[in-house]
Amino acid sequence: MSGPENTPEDGVTRDDPMIAAEWALGLLEGEELLAARGKYATDPDFAWRKEWWDDWFAPLTDGIAGAEPGDQVWDGISARIAAQQATAAPVALPDAPASNVVALEARVRRWQWVAGISSMAAAVALALFMFAPGRSPVDAPPAQIAATAPMVATVPIGETGLRLDVTYIPESEKMLVAAIGLTADGVHDHELWLVPADGSALQSLGVVAPGEVRSMALPAAVTAKLGDGASLVLTREPIGGKPQGVDAGPVVAKGAFNRV
Amino acid sequence: MAARPRPSSDEAREALRDAMARLADGDAAALEEIYRATRVKLFGICLRILGDRKEAEDALQDVYVNLWQRADRYDPTRASPIAWLAAFARNRAIDRLRTGKVRGGAVPVEEAAPLADETPLADMLLVDAEQAAQIHKCLGALDDRTQGHIRAAFFDGKTYAQLAEAADVPLGTMKSWIRRGLQRLRTCLEASEAA
Repeated sequence: MSGPENTPEDGVTRDDPMIAAEWALGLLEGEELLAARGKYATDPDFAWRKEWWDDWFAPLTDGIAGAEPGDQVWDGISARIAAQQATAAPVALPDAPASNVVALEARVRRWQWVAGISSMAAAVALALFMFAPGRSPVDAPPAQIAATAPMVATVPIGETGLRLDVTYIPESEKMLVAAIGLTADGVHDHELWLVPADGSALQSLGVVAPGEVRSMALPAAVTAKLGDGASLVLTREPIGGKPQGVDAGPVVAKGAFNRV
Repeated sequence: MAARPRPSSDEAREALRDAMARLADGDAAALEEIYRATRVKLFGICLRILGDRKEAEDALQDVYVNLWQRADRYDPTRASPIAWLAAFARNRAIDRLRTGKVRGGAVPVEEAAPLADETPLADMLLVDAEQAAQIHKCLGALDDRTQGHIRAAFFDGKTYAQLAEAADVPLGTMKSWIRRGLQRLRTCLEASEAA
């Protein structure tokens, strides 16, 4: 190979593969790093190239000496995972047959992929689905599975990046509301409303619990109105939800249901 | 460079691949197996990049919790599990360095890796030997200076600005050197894939 290059002016095209290489090496900072992350999420070619570089650079890590972490590291990992699993616990079905769980998890994973719902909501959706009365979903023929596919609404909250993930599983007559990232301000509650596709009156789905995944049973009057095209609005209310005889508070977010 | 194939390494790699598949299927118990098999290597990486034991342990926790949440991101047809995990851990550690959670940044290897000579090689899963040989060959084909800067970026998490300062050259010069090096590296690696 020739000697060191000394001419910064000579043009090296800084195309996407080059940016992917710089990122994989860890050279990107600030705005450029954010832009690269955004591109990774939306541009499969760029994502492919970033992973290509990661794969090629990976063997270099064999040159790094290993080291033994403290025992508390694993304890911390277990505790964090247990805490996340516990959030899903209230509706978990402890004696669920293991084979059903595995089969259903694959479906939940697909719903997640389609809807982008949080993994926690998916875990709860799984547990709820198993409550579906009187039949085993695993044995159901494909057509029936399609008919009972869950409906999902994502309700972005302004420009905050926060959102509600609402999952409704027709057979269960239950609905999951995941308000992850939403925090209580101590002064307001947020109330969720169903806006039926047929233009009939709004129906309250109750107050949203910030930072939690909650399941709620839905009365028949509500489930009858839940279909494709039904939408949801979130309003800001006093603590406890909209008082009787008062107009609902301002709408802070809205979204629509889609079957997945 | 120590990419020595050993009789047990294929088995270890297969066991890890299997555990990763089970984790992706939702088997949380698989995570402990993965942790036991990979913690020494991944902690070594975090420690080298972050240069602080406490920071590296926090980063390591994030790595495995994140892995549990997103195990389905690993594509077994694409990379060996340990290669993927190594990149995953290094990326998390670099993220931590870049988001300003860490003040000091990487420190010289003598301080960063106190277990350097005590860690038995057999405890560490190594990345595919053939692939390792190729990247070393392509890196080795670069001039020493460029190679040194690319290595410093990879192993110590240095930025362009830090590298330029250490070499006492303008930022643009450093960027140009490294980009030309990366371009040659890509050409060399792609040629090896086509072969």
